[in-house]
Amino acid sequence: MNKLKVLQAWLWCVSLWPCWLSHAVPLDCKDETGSLAQCASISQEKLLDRVIQHAELIYRVSEESCTLFEDMFVPYPLHALRSQGGNLCHTKPFPIPGSKSEIQQISDKWLLHSVLMLVQSWMEPLIYLQTTLNRYDDAPDALLNKTKWVSDKLLSLEQGVVVLIRKMLDEGILTSSSIFEHTLTPYNEQSPEVLESVLRNYNLLICFKKDAHKMETFLKLLKCRQSNKLSCVSY
Amino acid sequence: IWCHLLALTRNQLHPPSRGPHFTGCRSREQETFRCWWSAGIFQNLTEPGTLRVFYQTKNALSEWQECPDYTHTVKNECYFNKTFTHIWTSYCIQLRSVRENITYDETCFTVENIVHPDPPIGLNWTLLNVSHSGLHFDILVRWAPPPSADVQMGWMSLMYQVQYRVRNASHWEMLDLESGTQQSIYGLHTDKEYEVRVRCKMSAFNNFGEFSDSILVHVAQIPSKESTFPTTLVLIFGVIGLVILLVLLIFSQQQRLMVIFLPPIPAPKIKGIDPELLKNGKLDQLNSLLSSQDMYKPDFYHEDPWVEFIQLDLDDPAEKNESSDTQHLLGLSRSGSSHVLHFKSDDDSGRASCYDPEIPNPEDLAALLPGHSGRGDNHPLVSRSSSSIPDLGVQQTSEVEETPIQTQPAVPSWVNMDFYAQVSDFTPAGGVVLSPGQLNSSPEKKKEEENEKKIPFQLVSDGAYTSENTARQLSADVPPSPGPEQGYQTFPTQAVEGNLWNGEYLVSTSDSQIPYLLPEAPPVPILPPVSGYTVVQEVDAQHSLLLNPPSSQPAICPHSPNKHLPAMPTMPMGYLTPDLLGNLTP
Repeated sequence: MNKLKVLQAWLWCVSLWPCWLSHAVPLDCKDETGSLAQCASISQEKLLDRVIQHAELIYRVSEESCTLFEDMFVPYPLHALRSQGGNLCHTKPFPIPGSKSEIQQISDKWLLHSVLMLVQSWMEPLIYLQTTLNRYDDAPDALLNKTKWVSDKLLSLEQGVVVLIRKMLDEGILTSSSIFEHTLTPYNEQSPEVLESVLRNYNLLICFKKDAHKMETFLKLLKCRQSNKLSCVSY
Repeated sequence: IWCHLLALTRNQLHPPSRGPHFTGCRSREQETFRCWWSAGIFQNLTEPGTLRVFYQTKNALSEWQECPDYTHTVKNECYFNKTFTHIWTSYCIQLRSVRENITYDETCFTVENIVHPDPPIGLNWTLLNVSHSGLHFDILVRWAPPPSADVQMGWMSLMYQVQYRVRNASHWEMLDLESGTQQSIYGLHTDKEYEVRVRCKMSAFNNFGEFSDSILVHVAQIPSKESTFPTTLVLIFGVIGLVILLVLLIFSQQQRLMVIFLPPIPAPKIKGIDPELLKNGKLDQLNSLLSSQDMYKPDFYHEDPWVEFIQLDLDDPAEKNESSDTQHLLGLSRSGSSHVLHFKSDDDSGRASCYDPEIPNPEDLAALLPGHSGRGDNHPLVSRSSSSIPDLGVQQTSEVEETPIQTQPAVPSWVNMDFYAQVSDFTPAGGVVLSPGQLNSSPEKKKEEENEKKIPFQLVSDGAYTSENTARQLSADVPPSPGPEQGYQTFPTQAVEGNLWNGEYLVSTSDSQIPYLLPEAPPVPILPPVSGYTVVQEVDAQHSLLLNPPSSQPAICPHSPNKHLPAMPTMPMGYLTPDLLGNLTP
């Protein structure tokens, strides 16, 4: 079973090798024959920087999408929902601490895995969001483009985090989001009534912004720890 | 979600000034936060301890807990320290009076949404450069993030906004948000003193913190360098000189340039006719011009539809014997064609016609009347029988040529010419018996245009035309025109009316009466005013044409008392424009 997993992981990594090349990501290069070959490589530090850039951008775009959606579809009195941070975000199988001190105590491994899980958990809801937005009559193009962009970037982020995990933690990981599909079934319903659909999407966007913030914070904390061990440790 | 919605709206609907309420919650560094409240108008609740704050973290779904720390130094403040501050969780706080067990106010938020960062510190500026003129300069402003915000760890990502203004001015200039810790300011004036300040907010949120203290920026004005002056002067004078040269060039070569750039578009021209005349509407002059035109060529003659109008019955020997004049008239020799005036077949002269503007093609007309022997040859109405007439015709031709002629589109302008002959009788077969130079004083003209659609040419059918000159000269003893109802030198043709035409003569689509205006009569001093032509002045209710009493002014239109024509506006002298014409058609 383990061998199968390792083989699968290796095959997957190799098949994704051209993708990684385009990102200049791969840290070790192996062609189909299995022999080491010369290829462009990137340092772990740079990879982490790039992953953080991804996360920052995703966070900023999620904020812009939320604002666009709010301006377009949400009636004004309900704008206050936003400041309440989204109540019914789909729960993850593990709680994430909210206080700074607690977060500072989280291990690197846990940080990376959390990020990966967050990324994977949002892939399908974003696709759902895209389909519902496409069904709206007057969704602005900017909003549709942003959600599409975010979906694409999330995939890149996932790949980057997987590589980081592999390198920093020496772990192999299967990057299939099928694990979390069971938590996402509520989002496969048809959107029945307009206001309800609007509110659900609004909530979705708020939750996504929050989770994007989490991703960014974790990755930045990770970077801080990598560069300067002292100041980022909890005190 | 709906319950929450309701709670939210309920909170917002209550104006907070009534009773005890929260005045705000703020966090400086996303690690702690404070909330403040006020007793409002309920003065009996201002004692400390009467109003208490309870909070609940929505995510944990825990029970309501009381405020962990009521600040002693500040009144009505609840402080949440690091232990109690969780980001990414939603807090709800309630203001209760425990004694009465009433909840006065409730509000929910997340900590990130109430963060107002501290102002940046260490604001300073350095001079980047000064412009050549010494009037402007650029600076680089630098600062440091607030110490309370943990930017290093990435706990807070800050965006900064720099503002500046001339000292003591009322309006601050704002620059774009900057994620770094420095920014350049361009285009400041050297002799002015500026204030610069900066503030920050969390990226992805909209809560700005307080402004930092302002710093003063001032750069003394440096006297301008002399070396740059001449260059500027030279440039300016050079440009001015060039412009002057260009203007002179253009003016001197204006004509040529106009031809090159704006070549004249050849306008449609009729030889010898000034288009201005057409515009001004000086019809008399136009008439004179047109009459002097060489337009009425014999060549057109063979297209003359009038040729077809009169049906000839040449087979009847009796008629032949009787109407030698007729024969002459109808004889299609071309010798007199020089006297023939052809009407113009184009329609764009805009001149009125007694006939329907939609005059059919000559070819169509020709097709309508079979058996006409005069086709293609001289005008049948050219009078040849009498010797007097050609003489007259000659005279009249010349006269007519000198006089203005109002030729209508497709209206035979030969009307005024000497090829008129008086039709004295109609043969039973429908032939025309012509007699030269006699004016028939019968004014009436019958029309049966309701039955037949042969309007204008019924006029013709009623008789032949005699030119006015001829009429006047030849019938000096004819009493003046009996009245406006006259019009026409008609002939005792009532009986034969309608028989003249062999076929349908389609001139207009309806039985409309078209006033027929003839040009101004040529001056004939001898003749008494004959009711040849009058001006149609208006059309009365019965759609009969009211004509001017005959004066030296032109012409007539045959009217139809039975016709119902729309009222006509007052016309210009002698003309009936086609659109007026259209008005007349019922």
